[in-house]
Amino acid sequence: MALVETKRKIKKIFTSFRIILFIIFLLFAFVAVHPSPWNKGVAIRSIEPNSSAYLAGIKSPEKGSAPMSREIIKSINKVNIENLADYYSSISDLRVNKSIQLKTNKGLYRLTVKEKTKEITLNETIEKIITEIIQANETINGTNVLVNKTISSKIIVNKTEIISLGAEDIGIDVYPAPTSNLRKGLDLEGGVRILLQPEEKLSKADVDLLKESMEERLNIYGLSDIVIRSAEGLPPPLGKGEQYILVEIPGGNEKDVRSLKEQGKFEAKIGNDTVFAGGKKDITYVCRSADCSGIDPLYGCSAASGQYLCRFRFSITLSKEAAQRQADLTKVLDIVTEGEQRYLSEKLILFLDNKGVDELNIGSELKGKAETDIQISGAGMGLTQQEAVTNSLKNMKKLQTILITGSLPVKLEIVKIDTISPALGEEFIKNAIFIGLLAFIAVIAIIFIRYRKIQILIPMLVISSSEIFILLGFAALINWNLDIAAIAGIIIAVGTGVNDQIVITDETLRGEAAGVFNWKERIKRAFAIIATSYATITVAMLPLFFAGAGLLKGFALTTIIGLLIGILITRPAFGIMIEILSKE
Amino acid sequence: MEENSIGQEQNNGEETKEIEDKPKPIKIEEPIKKLEPKPKKPLNIKESIRNFYDKQYKKLMIIPLIMLLLAIISISYQVATTGDFIQRDVTLKGGVTITIPSEKPVDIAGLQSQLSSRFKENDISARTLKRAGTDVGIIITADIDAENKENIDLFLSAIAEKLSIKLEEGSYSIEVMGSALGADFFKNSLNALLFSFLFMAIVVFAVFRVPIPSLAVILAAFSDIVVTVAVVNLLGIKLGTAGIAAFLMLIGYSVDTDILLTTRVLKRKEGTEFERILSSVSTGMTMTLTAITAVAVAIIFTQNDTIRQIMTILLIGLLADIINTWIQNVGILRFYLERKSRQTGKWH
Repeated sequence: MALVETKRKIKKIFTSFRIILFIIFLLFAFVAVHPSPWNKGVAIRSIEPNSSAYLAGIKSPEKGSAPMSREIIKSINKVNIENLADYYSSISDLRVNKSIQLKTNKGLYRLTVKEKTKEITLNETIEKIITEIIQANETINGTNVLVNKTISSKIIVNKTEIISLGAEDIGIDVYPAPTSNLRKGLDLEGGVRILLQPEEKLSKADVDLLKESMEERLNIYGLSDIVIRSAEGLPPPLGKGEQYILVEIPGGNEKDVRSLKEQGKFEAKIGNDTVFAGGKKDITYVCRSADCSGIDPLYGCSAASGQYLCRFRFSITLSKEAAQRQADLTKVLDIVTEGEQRYLSEKLILFLDNKGVDELNIGSELKGKAETDIQISGAGMGLTQQEAVTNSLKNMKKLQTILITGSLPVKLEIVKIDTISPALGEEFIKNAIFIGLLAFIAVIAIIFIRYRKIQILIPMLVISSSEIFILLGFAALINWNLDIAAIAGIIIAVGTGVNDQIVITDETLRGEAAGVFNWKERIKRAFAIIATSYATITVAMLPLFFAGAGLLKGFALTTIIGLLIGILITRPAFGIMIEILSKE
Repeated sequence: MEENSIGQEQNNGEETKEIEDKPKPIKIEEPIKKLEPKPKKPLNIKESIRNFYDKQYKKLMIIPLIMLLLAIISISYQVATTGDFIQRDVTLKGGVTITIPSEKPVDIAGLQSQLSSRFKENDISARTLKRAGTDVGIIITADIDAENKENIDLFLSAIAEKLSIKLEEGSYSIEVMGSALGADFFKNSLNALLFSFLFMAIVVFAVFRVPIPSLAVILAAFSDIVVTVAVVNLLGIKLGTAGIAAFLMLIGYSVDTDILLTTRVLKRKEGTEFERILSSVSTGMTMTLTAITAVAVAIIFTQNDTIRQIMTILLIGLLADIINTWIQNVGILRFYLERKSRQTGKWH
């Protein structure tokens, strides 16, 4: 009899609409979280441009792609890779030009290890003959015609030598293969977080532009998987409406992000007129490969008053409009002669953030010509020649980045930098799971002491744990990073859930004792109370979106969503479960 | 003085807890009572507490009143002496927080005194990070000028020297907060708290639509916050952004029980008014007790400062809420109903 009764109740539970809805959500959460605790291997976080991995065709993961869709390295040279230690040991003995077979879950790649080289400038000088094709006006048969002329000139430059520094890193940044689609926030995974504040008020479009160019800059530095968010304080008249840009780089370090704050306003001017500025509008291509960028072979390095100075150069392509502007501006200039060379009377001056970086003589042949291929140059200094070369190349990379990405719409101030060690994050997760379990057991114990009914305990257990899971599924779905604040939000959501379940239980049991109401009425009464407390806690959390420069957004969001899932899905399911299980 | 009120809090917690176990025994006792000749004198303890709670609710209201007054006095004193009504930590004031994981025992007092003597102008505190009694690392906070990177490097090297360890990037965590930003955070968080409270009040009014009971709910939330702020100050806890967020959570949690109480007393008709109050106590105390248990577990076992601060604030707030809901709010509600029934001339 009892068995038949139980069967009937179970059947009733699983045919109830609310329970079916709840199960559907649970399944969706399962798919979204995609838990696979036995995932092995190392996942690719990013690929450095021009590295051997890059050349072999391995790609950086798409921005915002789900963790479980990341490419995972399974074996290197047929040796299985199960963890980071395996990976590092298998790439530790690289030799130049050696070929590596790298197998991922998406394909097989053949990498050739590149040689890491460094160009050093020697103190010896060498005579070099360079040939240039210039255009000149010549009088042929009484008429002025423009002719191409090849001239060779001799210059004296420092000798350079390329030395090998052994094998170059294959350029893959890895992390342990994810075991679910949940993204760990910075405080759990380690990395850098900086908070920047624009010096002046930005429009929404400008904020988007800012985020876009910062992202591009970080990508050039080989950093992907970054989070760039904007946040605002309470809008006026309630507050000052401060704007912040929050940048989080998992696994990154402080050096990577310092460059972010540089506005990078690049301008090339002749006199007071801008010829072209950084960004895609004026500059269509920036050369970054060795054949057209690097230490300038014409000038190399020179020493003066105890300091070394090395010049770099790289070529860029201007857009037609910018080239035309240059032509218009140079048309009116005079030609001056300096020794054998003929230049225009004004120089092309390069400005970075309103400071002059370099001055370039403009060859007389460029007068009035809409030339699109231009060479940009600059210099770096150092106490030793090596230092000067390094600095020069660093400056070059910075300038290239700025020319590619354009300037940020505003100056930025770094107001907060956090560097978080991954060791603490791991420890925290273990600790959080332990506390969560313990608190759960304690709460369940109290509920059991209070009600002493298994038909109340079981639904509470099932519902509360599912609630956490559905909330995690949601977090995975919207790409939300789980950080400590978000975990606090989950705690509140579950805590409120338990509270509400107690209300539902008591209301239904009380109704039973009073014997006046039907079940529908009892559940309705319980929901009157629950809905009110839901409304109060939700509105109480809303202002958090404007506090703490967005650092508490995660907290507010998880709480609000958790409560919403609770009132719409899990609480109704709990009500039905209690009703069916407790009804005589 | 304030310790007194904490003591009262706990006493009352026990009082109400005993009442909480009531509903079932009542049902069993009642038929027995009817059979026996009424034993008028030897009332059992539960019965007498219940009786006192029923009849003397006006006198009982002195407890939350004194608690609130003491809290206000203590906060005023805090404002008068420090100019701030809470003690702000480096996340609201500006400075650095350095966390170094280390399983080896560290001479924390020595570290603190040495750092303090080297950086005389700064407020420096160092302590060990514990999890269930074992050391897992150390946390050092200092309100040094965060805008100056050299200062921070100097500070880091002083720590490394004292502990004779190497501080490599990635082996420790450092959080740097500019002082202007800290001040902004503080102001923003306070504004957020204010708006939370306001929004909550609006919802409460919209749901109950009667001024005095609504105000009673709002007053309970207010008292919870004020008392918690006072206790947090007395315990010497320095508040950070997370702490302010905890107060927001407290607003949500503390009105939960008040809403339950008000709904049952005002909107339900079954049983007497006092029976409905008792049934609310039973439900509400279960809610509060489960919350307190979970929060206490977290305080004991967490090694994370943010979580510990949030949980400590919640614990204090939940304890205060027991008094503010089951004595203060109940008192005001009964007062209101009594006056109302006197005006309309009929009993509930």
